[in-house]
Amino acid sequence: MSERIEEHPILGVQKKGKTVKFTMDGKEIEGYEGEPIAAALKAAGLMVHRYTQKEHKPRGIFCAIGRCTDCVMIVDGVPNIRTCITPLKDGMTVQTQYGVSGIPFEDQ
Amino acid sequence: MKRYDLIIVGAGPSGLSAAIEAAKKGLDVVVFDENEKPGGQLFKQIHKFFGSKEHRAKVRGFVIGQQLLDEADEAGVKVVLNATVIGLYQDKEVVVRIGEEICHYKADAVVIATGAAENMVTFPGWTLPGVIGAGAAQTMMNLHGVKPGKRILMLGSGNVGLVVSFQLLQSGCEVVALVDAAPRVGGYGVHAAKVARTGVLFYLSHTIVSAEGDECVTGVTIAEIDDKFNFIPGTEKHFDVDTICLAVGLSPMSQLLKMAGAKMEDNPKRGGQVPICDEYGRTSIPGVFVAGDVSGIEEASSAMIEGRMAGIVAAEYLGYIDDKVMETELAGLDKALDGLRQGMFAPKNRGKSIEKTEEGIDISQNLLKKGFVGDDEIERFPGVTHRKGIHPVIECTQNIPCNPCQDVCGKKCISIGDNITSLPIAVTDSECVNCGMCVASCSGQAIFLVDEDCGDGSATVTLPYEFLPLPAEGTKGIALGRNGQEVCEATVVSVKSLKAFDKTNLLTMRVPKEYAMKARFFRVKTEEAAV
Repeated sequence: MSERIEEHPILGVQKKGKTVKFTMDGKEIEGYEGEPIAAALKAAGLMVHRYTQKEHKPRGIFCAIGRCTDCVMIVDGVPNIRTCITPLKDGMTVQTQYGVSGIPFEDQ
Repeated sequence: MKRYDLIIVGAGPSGLSAAIEAAKKGLDVVVFDENEKPGGQLFKQIHKFFGSKEHRAKVRGFVIGQQLLDEADEAGVKVVLNATVIGLYQDKEVVVRIGEEICHYKADAVVIATGAAENMVTFPGWTLPGVIGAGAAQTMMNLHGVKPGKRILMLGSGNVGLVVSFQLLQSGCEVVALVDAAPRVGGYGVHAAKVARTGVLFYLSHTIVSAEGDECVTGVTIAEIDDKFNFIPGTEKHFDVDTICLAVGLSPMSQLLKMAGAKMEDNPKRGGQVPICDEYGRTSIPGVFVAGDVSGIEEASSAMIEGRMAGIVAAEYLGYIDDKVMETELAGLDKALDGLRQGMFAPKNRGKSIEKTEEGIDISQNLLKKGFVGDDEIERFPGVTHRKGIHPVIECTQNIPCNPCQDVCGKKCISIGDNITSLPIAVTDSECVNCGMCVASCSGQAIFLVDEDCGDGSATVTLPYEFLPLPAEGTKGIALGRNGQEVCEATVVSVKSLKAFDKTNLLTMRVPKEYAMKARFFRVKTEEAAV
């Protein structure tokens, strides 16, 4: 089930960059170059971007314009990257963020 | 330290407009914006705007955005993107984070056009993935082409909640309910009506009890509230949803002004903490001006005019034009802005409960409470008349500043007059030629072309249709009423998609003639479900 809008009644068929591959927690996913990482993840059905440091609560996309920081993840090894405004590149490594780490809490 | 005549913060509708005016007058202008692209929120606005010609009415927001960018290019405006202004200090020193670098600039004048941020409400489960802002939904579907969710509950019945609900439907999402704690629909009735007629239920005086789910939203419970905002036990309603969308107002992003020491006030009519300023955006600090939502929440159309005003007063402040030129230019803009600030939804009427139209007609109570005008209420409005043959039925029942329908009808079948907020009148002695321009040009999608009696026991209803796939001629389906409930069987007679209609397709359906004044939307039968 695709969450992409194939053709929009007003916007038509939206122009996309070339298809690129990236990994999400080790799993290979496809997205479009230049779209926000969060858009590619959403299209792939992923909801949880990170878990909070103290209470281990899940967070996902909230504002989608880079203000709220709910959607931050570890991108190419760097934590706290706002995925909703960071363009997707070929070969990126994206990881769920636990606190500020890429390692699940039970293994930390 | 690099120096500019004018530094503008924010490349949205007001900031760009200010930049264009100032650049045209010879000022050395730069605009900083934290985003990757200019245009602010305009490129997410896919609906046709209200107003009159001078406000670019019936043009879609993203098209206006492109026009504005072209105009800025032509005027030689320099826009620096991915540039977050983090400080505004004494003597107009502006500190900007560009990439990972902190840069200092000096300006002789500054226009703050930072816009607004979305408000939020909290409830158990509000931090779950799947609870998103209405702006996030717009960003995902209209900029990035990704559906924000499959089944969605919208909280907030202001124009943002209504417009975004419609856009979600256009993107192929299901909107299960539109909920608002207020007892009345907050936005334009026409925006509510076009959502309600597709079958979305409105729950006024209701709010969210909790969002459910462990890892992400799987459901939501709402309940009715009393006049003290306490839940009424036993009124709970549950919906299975994967997304909850919050459209609960906007607050000015005025932090830079406070930081700079501008005199501020807390003004609920303007949306929160705003700088004290005059009508042209002059703050308490000489040479620091404001435009757009940062000085009071309105809309893009007024923000663009305010931006032009700020650009002009900044040019006068720096001596690029004299006060006579300024006065002349401002006078024209005064008139345009005043036109937009009229009617029931004008800023001066915010929070007031208006019972009658300017014409003295009772406002539809159904519209305020359920999102649609009742069949028993519609006849009292001057756009709704009956006669032989095809004629426009204009279901525009509130005084809003908008008049494209009057302009596009070459046959003068629709009359609003000089007062832009007057309700449109269906002129009965003018001959309608069924061109459809009124239907397509009505930003509120409130005009229908009806032939009440085709002579064979049937009637035809032509309605604006902005969904995909377009049903083919001959498709059988169900006609829905203003309330979104099924009224009768219907067959598609034609679907017209002319360039002049600008993506508003005109769907004509045949219904039994007794439903001519009730059938207002077409739904493909579920076995071939589309919408």
